[in-house]
Parts: sequence; structure tokens; C-alpha cells
Amino acid sequence: MSSGNMSMTPRIVWATLGIRVCTLSVTALKRATALAVLMLSISVSGTSLARELPADPLDSVMWESMANRFMPEGDIVFDDRVKVMAPLFAENQFHVPITIDATELDDVEEIVVVADLNPIPLVLNMRPKAALSYIGLRLKLQQTSPIHVGVRTADGTWRVGYAVVDAAGGGCTAPAAAHGNSNWMKTLGETRALASRADAGTARMTLRMRHPMDTGLAAGIPAFYMNELEVKNNAGEVVAQLDLFEPVSENPTFTLRPKIGEEAETLHVSTRDTEGNVFDFPLSVPAFADL
Amino acid sequence: MIVTRHSAVPVSRSRRRALQWFAAGCGCAVCGSLHATLLDFDLSAVEIASKTWAVLGRSEYFDMDNGGNIVNVAFVEVPDGVVVIDSGPSKRFGDALRLLIEKTVPNKPILRVYNTHHHPDHFLGNQSFDASLIAAPQKVIDNISMEGNDFADNMYRLLGDWMRGTLPVAPTLALDADSEDVGGRTFSLFYLSGHTSSDLVIRDDETGVVFSGDLAFLFRAPTTPHADIAVWRTTLQTLDGIDKSLLLPGHGPSDPNGEAIAQTADYIDWLHGQLSEAVSAGLTMNEAMQLAIPARFEGLGVVRTEYERSVVHLYPALEDSLFPLIQIER
Repeated sequence: MSSGNMSMTPRIVWATLGIRVCTLSVTALKRATALAVLMLSISVSGTSLARELPADPLDSVMWESMANRFMPEGDIVFDDRVKVMAPLFAENQFHVPITIDATELDDVEEIVVVADLNPIPLVLNMRPKAALSYIGLRLKLQQTSPIHVGVRTADGTWRVGYAVVDAAGGGCTAPAAAHGNSNWMKTLGETRALASRADAGTARMTLRMRHPMDTGLAAGIPAFYMNELEVKNNAGEVVAQLDLFEPVSENPTFTLRPKIGEEAETLHVSTRDTEGNVFDFPLSVPAFADL
Repeated sequence: MIVTRHSAVPVSRSRRRALQWFAAGCGCAVCGSLHATLLDFDLSAVEIASKTWAVLGRSEYFDMDNGGNIVNVAFVEVPDGVVVIDSGPSKRFGDALRLLIEKTVPNKPILRVYNTHHHPDHFLGNQSFDASLIAAPQKVIDNISMEGNDFADNMYRLLGDWMRGTLPVAPTLALDADSEDVGGRTFSLFYLSGHTSSDLVIRDDETGVVFSGDLAFLFRAPTTPHADIAVWRTTLQTLDGIDKSLLLPGHGPSDPNGEAIAQTADYIDWLHGQLSEAVSAGLTMNEAMQLAIPARFEGLGVVRTEYERSVVHLYPALEDSLFPLIQIER
């Protein structure tokens, strides 16, 4: 902002802040106020035209911010078909199990998980291309928090489910357990996994990978976490894509339900962390006839 | 974006109940001394054997109503004084226990306080007793030193003003003998594990009463935050083999018939089997939490809550043993 080319906007700011108001003429102040009112009404009507934010059943102080940051654009509604399974209290604030089931919704394009009161709220974003709209995961909680899950369907609408988990403090700011062992790098990416056929059209896969998932919020330990996970089928088609963020638990554990044909299938999992380490592995699912 | 816990969001009616303890906790903090006068344990001693009293806790989980009085502690009058087994969940409880002992066995000195294991409901009353008299196996002392502060933090969170002034105090005497004579009475000491990494069992050789700590529960669901189920299973056989007239479990009524050991074994066997199946089927923890609990365990206090906690405790080790290790391409 240069004083030589002073627009109205900075004057409004000054007026609002009560700074240098005395340097403005009464006329200028009136003009500024009128413009401020005009701009305010434009911005308010602009927002309401785009969408109306429904009241949060949990009354979370962060709801408006969470919705605007992580579920931008499109209508937004709370919907019972987005089922969020969570314990009432976190037995372990470093590993809080959450299972999301939005399989009653058609044409799901994206699932976003946020823990409102975490210092880093965004947990993950999943695009279930050829998988059921379902995911099991474990996350870290810094304190008792509402959890909102936004599911975006093809019509652009966000359908939201929620849960509250009571938790002891510190899940995001304590060092990962891995750092108790000086050799932790040696087992980085070590994977245990299980894949099975649920029925003629779906598989169920659970995988757990060794990774500290450092948030960057523990003293002296920079952020270092697995940030991408992709599953493809044997034909090379994407089954599911996940963007992962800091609040995902140490040794991230996921359960997914890929859609598959009746013949034997191999699911190719590919993950990547923020240091560029890549861990790939296949998981076989037997043919339906072999069950 | 730092929001303090005091601004925890108001929640829907159904969820609000889960957070009730929390609202109550804030209330007490605000009301201060007014409320403090109301927070009083109404402890009573039940004579379960000659000169042997149990203070029986409720078969519940910690909440603002019970103030943490969910645990059994006991005391025994010996020729020269009194021996105490476990000290309860807080300073407030420890103080109340001392008064009760003084009332029940007047003018006799407390000679020994045993801590059976390092769980907070069993040792956070230590502060009310002379630290030089508090004894436990070295491993229990280590566990208390390591985890005592975190336990205390969480207990304050759960119980608010009930915990006022409580600090974790580790035992100063490390036990390693098979028995010790205290004030003219011999107590046999058994160094076991399974419920935690170190569980002390004490037998009064005069009366034959066995104080099992949390290796045995009766009509209250066993807890598993530090459990090794396979070890616990073997330990229960050892416990069964100890000569006794009566067993006082860590939680639940005193037991003359061996029911507590059988019930605990039955429950942990079932728990292990059920969770092994759930892990093998690829169920998430949340899905496993929703599985049915057999009717024969319905009479166990807080069984649904403890079962759900156990899913979180036991799942990771079961995943390690039941999920195949995968070759990674880097």
C-alpha cells in the first residue's frame, strides 16, 4: 500500500482499527463507511449465494473454518448416510480408531477427514475411484475433539458425518514411539498386510506400515510423514488414492474395500513419504470360485 | 489455532452424556471449596477373615460419581500393627483409608503398605502413608516411576477435584524374598505377571487369605492396558495352585470358591479368541468393538466399556502376529 495512491480500502481498515482516523475528513469517513457497508453486503450475499453453511450438530467452534477450508464450494449438508464410527473416548490418543462408511451414497468422489481441535486438523483425503466409500484408519488427537467427515458426491455436494472423541492431551506434540529406538530408520516402511475376498465384487485389505509420521510439532523433530498412498488393480486402473497428513497415526494402518471382479486379482499398493521414500508392494486376492 | 480444553465444544445430546464427567470437572474447579466439602468417600471395611478387612470398590470405571473408588484395598491386623494392601486412587482416598484403619484398629501403627502393581487405582493413595513403609517388587517401582506422572495426569482429567493434591509416590522398599515377617505375621510373596509386567500376590500365612491384585477379577470385567494374555493365562494356573482359604480380587467381592480365577480365565480366553478372529478377518478396531459379548459375561460390571478398551490395547500385538510380513519394493 503506497500513500501516494491511497485506495479506500486501507482507510476503512484504519477507521476500523481506530488508527489515524483523525487524519480523515468527515466526508472521507462517510465515503469509507458507505463503501465498507457496500463491500460487506456484497461479500455476505456472495457467500450466501454460493451456499448456506448448516449449523453444526456438535456446535464446534471450528466448524465454519473447517467447512470453508477443507470442504470448499458446493452445497454442504449433514447426512446420516456418512457413518463415522469412533470410540467415545480415546484409550490411546496416539492411535484413535475411526471407521468411515459412506457406502449408502452413490458417486462418491472424495472423502475428507478433519479433527477440528487438532493443531493440524486435516487428517486425510481419499478418492475412492474403484473402491467402496469406506475407510478404516487411526489418527492422533491433541485433545478432546469433534471429528467431521465430508463426503463429496458427483453433484458437488458435501455430505457430512461426525463424531466426538474424548481424549487425554498431547497426541500430536509428543515424539513418535519410534524415536525411542535409535535404529528406527532400519525398519522404516516395514509392512504387514492382509487382503481377502469379501464377496464376488469386493475385497477387504488392511495394511500397517512402519513410519513415525512425525508431525513437526514435537520438539526437535521435523515433520516427516507418509503423504501419498495409491492402490491400483492388475489392469493398472486406480482403485483408491489417499493424501495423508500429519495427524495420521504412527505406523499408519488402513482398511480399504476395493471393488474387484470374480477372477483372482492383485492389488498394487504404492506409498510415498515427505522425504521421497517410496514403498511398493502387491497383495493377492483369490478368485471367487476358489473361496 | 490453539483452543484450550475449557472451551471444548458443546456437543449433541447423545454425545453430551459421554462428556458429562468433563462438565462436572469444570464445575468443581469453579466452585472450589464449596464443592470440595461434598467430595467425601464413604468408605467402610468388611471383615472378610479374622482381623482382615476389605474396602470394596464399586464395579465401575472411574467417574465423577464414584470419585475413583472402584478398587479393592485391604488391611490386616497383625500382632504388632497393621499391614495395608494397596492404597487406592488418590490422596483423598488414602487419607480416608487411614482414618478408616484408625477407627477399625485403634492405636496400632501401620507397619507395611504393599502395592500389588502400578495401575493408578492401586498406588496413588501412597502419599497418605509413610513412604519408608511402602513396598513392591522392583519392577513395580520402576513402572510407577516411569508411568506414575502420566497416570496421575489422566486421573485428574477423569476425576477433577477428587484428585486434589495427589502426587505419585513410588514405593521405597524393593521386595525380592519369598516371604517376610511383618509385626509378628508371615506373608508369602509371589512375583507374577500377566495383568501387567509385574504383579505381586500376597498371602497371609496365618489366615490363608490371598490378595491377588488385578490378576483376578470377580463380577467386574478384567482390564488389559498392560496385559500379556498368554502370560496371564499361565499365571492364573499358578494362582490357582497357591494354598488359600479365600481370595480377594483387585475388583469385586471376596471369593472363597475360586470363582474369580475361573471367571478371569474364561474372560481373557474368550477375549483373545474373539479379537484374534476379528484381526484375521481384517475388521477395523471400530468394527471389532461392535461385536457381541457372550451372555455369560453380561453380569460383569462395565464389560462393554472394558471390552472396547481391550480392542485398542490388544489389537496391535495381534496384528503383528497374524498379519503376514510383506516384501517391499523400494
